[in-house]
Amino acid sequence: MKTQVVVIGGGPAGMCAALSASKTGAKVVLVERDEVLGGILNQCIHNGFGLHYFHEELTGPEFAHRFRIMVEADKNIKVLTNTLVTKIEDKKVQIMGKNGFEEIEAQAVVLAMGCRERTAGNISLCGTRPMGIVTAGVAQKMVNIDGKMIGKDIVILGSGDIGLIMARRLTLEGAKVHAVFEINSTSSGLRRNIMQCLEDFDIPLFFNTTIFEVVGKDRVEGVYYGQVDKNFQPIESTRKFLKCDTVVLSVGLIPEMYIAPDTITCKTTGGAIVNEFYQTDKPWLFCCGNILHVHDLVDNVALEAEQAGKFASLYALGKLPTQSKSLPVVAGEGVSYVLPYSVFEGQGKVEFKLRLKTKVVRKNLVAKCGANILGKKFVLAGVPGEMLKFEIEKNGASDKIVVEIE
Amino acid sequence: MKIFDCVVIGGGVVGAAIFNKIVRLGKSCVLLDKASDVATGASKANSGIVHAGYDPKPGTLKAKLNVRGAKLFPQICKRLGVKLNCCGALVVGDDKEKILELYNRGLQNKVKVEIWDKKKLHEKVPKLNANLNVALWAEDSKTVSPYLFTIGLVEEGMINGGKVLLEADISAISKDGDVFKIETQRGMIYSKSVVNSAGAGYNQIARLLGSETKKIQLRRGEYFVFDKNTLDVPCTIFPLPTDLGKGVLLTPTVDGNFLVGPTSAPSDDVTAVTKTGLDEIRQKAHLLMPDIDFRNTIRQFSGIRTICGDDFVIEKSRKVPGVVNLAGICSPGLSSAPAIAEMVINLLGYSTKEKDNLKKIQPYVMFKNMSKRQQKEILKTDPSFGQIVCKCEKITKGDILAVLKRPLKIKSVDAIKRRTNAGMGRCQGGFCFTKVVKAIAQERKIEYKNVLKENRGSFVAVGDIREEE
Repeated sequence: MKTQVVVIGGGPAGMCAALSASKTGAKVVLVERDEVLGGILNQCIHNGFGLHYFHEELTGPEFAHRFRIMVEADKNIKVLTNTLVTKIEDKKVQIMGKNGFEEIEAQAVVLAMGCRERTAGNISLCGTRPMGIVTAGVAQKMVNIDGKMIGKDIVILGSGDIGLIMARRLTLEGAKVHAVFEINSTSSGLRRNIMQCLEDFDIPLFFNTTIFEVVGKDRVEGVYYGQVDKNFQPIESTRKFLKCDTVVLSVGLIPEMYIAPDTITCKTTGGAIVNEFYQTDKPWLFCCGNILHVHDLVDNVALEAEQAGKFASLYALGKLPTQSKSLPVVAGEGVSYVLPYSVFEGQGKVEFKLRLKTKVVRKNLVAKCGANILGKKFVLAGVPGEMLKFEIEKNGASDKIVVEIE
Repeated sequence: MKIFDCVVIGGGVVGAAIFNKIVRLGKSCVLLDKASDVATGASKANSGIVHAGYDPKPGTLKAKLNVRGAKLFPQICKRLGVKLNCCGALVVGDDKEKILELYNRGLQNKVKVEIWDKKKLHEKVPKLNANLNVALWAEDSKTVSPYLFTIGLVEEGMINGGKVLLEADISAISKDGDVFKIETQRGMIYSKSVVNSAGAGYNQIARLLGSETKKIQLRRGEYFVFDKNTLDVPCTIFPLPTDLGKGVLLTPTVDGNFLVGPTSAPSDDVTAVTKTGLDEIRQKAHLLMPDIDFRNTIRQFSGIRTICGDDFVIEKSRKVPGVVNLAGICSPGLSSAPAIAEMVINLLGYSTKEKDNLKKIQPYVMFKNMSKRQQKEILKTDPSFGQIVCKCEKITKGDILAVLKRPLKIKSVDAIKRRTNAGMGRCQGGFCFTKVVKAIAQERKIEYKNVLKENRGSFVAVGDIREEE
C-alpha cells in the first residue's frame, strides 16, 4: 500500500492530524488498533470536553464523534481500524490487521498513539497480586463500556485526572470510595476535578500518603497505607489498614513511544524532541498529542494535532519550506519543560506549551534570548497539573531561548 | 469403578513431568490440582533457568538429577514445541578460589565449565561491574518458560490418555486393600498408587495419606521483570553462591524480557512482594551491573520455594505402601523435573518402556510467529486471527480462542497470559484485559463478571452496573 501521510492512532490527535493533513492536500491513511475511532475519549462519558475548541460542553464520545464523522466523510482519508502498527522503519509502516502483516509506504508519518497508564509494576507496588488492582483507564473501560462494577469498596492511589473522574463515577454507581492517596504534596489533576469529583462527594484526599502493601489472595482484601517522608520512603509509624476490595491506580501516564523508531526523546515528558513543525530528528516523522507530552485538555490536543498534520502533509508534498538556523528552547527556573524544543530563526509568532515545576502565584513567565526579553506573561495562579500556553514574537532571537519564571 | 494405576497430586512442573512419564508408559494416570490451572505455585514464579548442574554438591540427588534433567530438557522441549533459550550462564566474582571451587564441582558433576578471565568476561558482558574479574562459564545453562514447559507436559499427557482434574481439592484419602480412595471436589478417584508432589502443600497431603510428614521450610523469592531491550544481559549472570542459594541473578527470558532476583527470606505461603525484598534486589543487582535502571521494570512477583533439608526428598513411603513422597523440590527442581520423573517411575516399579504410537502435541504457535503462508491460510477460514487483542505482545483474538480450545480447559485471564503472553507486556493488560475477559466469556459461555483472574474467588467484576430490577 502507498500513501502520502500515515497517521498512527485514531484518537483525537490522530483524527485531527489526519483531517488537517488531508485539508493541506495529502492522501492519508489513518491506522487505529481498536474497532472504532475515538481512542480513550470513547470511554470518557463525563462532560467538560470541547469548551475551548467548540465553545460548548461535550462528553468524550460526543467530542470524538464530531471528528469521526468528518474523517469518515473525507475521501482523502483511508481509515484502517482493528489494525496495529508493528514496526516503523524509514517511512515504511508495518501493520497487522485483517489481512495479516502488510506494509504501507509513505512520505511522512505522524505518531499520535497517545499514552499508556503507569501500572502497579511501574511503581513497584508491594503486596500480593490479586484481582482488584486496576488502572483508572481499565476501571473506566469496565464500568463505562462493558457496564461492569469493578468493586464495592474502593481506594484510589494517585490523584491523576482519570482517577478523580473514576472516584466520582464509582460513587455514582453505588460504590464507596474510601480515600484517594497522593504520594506528592500536590495533585497532578485539574483543580476543577478535585472540587467536582472529590470535594462534592466528601471523598478524602490524603497528600504525602501512599499504599505500603496490598493484601488479599484472590480479590483485594485491603491495603496498608501511611505517610511518606520527603524521599517518598514510607514512615512505618504511620502505617494503617483499610479494608477494600479494589485499588484503582491513577499514577501517571507515559507517552506510548515504544513503536517509534529510535528517536531522541525528552527525559521530562518521555515524548520525542520536536521543532516548531512537530518534526522529530527524523524529518519525515512527526508527533502530536499525548505521545508528545501529556495534555490535560483534549481541546489542546486537537489544536496541536492540526498543526502537526499540516506540517506532515506539507513535508510529504515537498512544500515544507527549508528553514534558517534552529534555535534551542530550554526550560529555565520553575519550568519543567517547554514545547517545541527548538524554533527557527526569523519573524513571526510562536506558541510555547509548558508546565511549571511547582505552584506559582502572581509571577511573570518570561522568554529570553540572552538579555533580550522576547515575551512576558503574567501568571495569576499556576499549578504543575495545568499546561500553560505562552505566545511570543521570535523576532530578534538569534540563539538559545530560555523560558522561565521571573 | 475405574481404578487408575496412579494419581499424581500437584500440577507443578514436577507433578506434570511424572504424570507425563507415567502416561507415556501406557499406565492410566490422573493429575490433581486444587488451582484452576497447572503451574500456579512455585512453577510459575521462579528464575526459569535450566541449570547446567555445576552448583549442587557432587553425589547428592540434586547433582545427579539436575545433570540428567538438563540433558533430557532439549529433546522434551523439542517434542513439546517449547522454546529454550540456550544463552549459557556466568558465575561472576572477584575471588578466583571460589570460582575454582565451583569449577571443580562442575567437573565432578560432569558439566561443561570454563574459567574466564576479566577480559573475556567483560567482552561478553560490557556493562558488568568493573571489579568483577573472574567467572565460571557454563554453556549448557538455558532459560525456559517454566509454565509453558509444565503445560506442555500436562497437555501431551492428556492427548495420550491421561486425565487432569483442576479445582480438585482433596478432602479425604482412605485405603481399601491396595486401592486408594481419594475424595476430591471433582469426584471420587480410585488408584493403586499415589505420588505426593504437592510442593508447599506436601504435609497437608501427607496427613490425608497417613504418610510421613516432613519438616518443610518455605522461603520467598522476589523478582523484578524488565521490559524488552532494557538490559544488556546476553546470558544468565549469577553472583557467587552462598548458603542461602544462588543469589540475586540477572537472566534473559525466552521472550526477550529479563528477570532480576530472587531474594531468599523465610516466609509463609503468601506470594507477596515486599519493600525490603525489592530494595535488597536493587542493591545486589547493582553490584553485578551498576547502571541497571529500575524504572524499566514492568512487574514484580514472588514465588515460594519449599526446602526440606539440604537435598531433594524423593522416596517410597515406608508408612503407606504405594505412596511416593516428593518434598523440598526447590532449585534445581525445574531443571531436574524430567529426571525426577524417571526416578519416580522406578520407585513405582514401572518398566521404562514407553508405549507405541504416542500422539504428538500441537505446539503453541501465535499468529505473529506463523509463516506468511500459514497466516494467509488461517485468515481465510478464521478472521479472528486478524483482530488484535494484546498490542504489546501482538496477540490476536484467534490466538486466545485457539488456546481456549486446547485439551486443558482453562478459564482465567492469567492462564491465557501464561500461554499467549497477552497482558505480559509493558502496558500490563491496560489494553487487552477486558478483551481477554470477553473472549473467555464467549468461548466458555459464562458471564463476564464470572471470568476469573486466576483461582476461584478472583472474579474480575463484582456485578453489572444498574442491574435490571
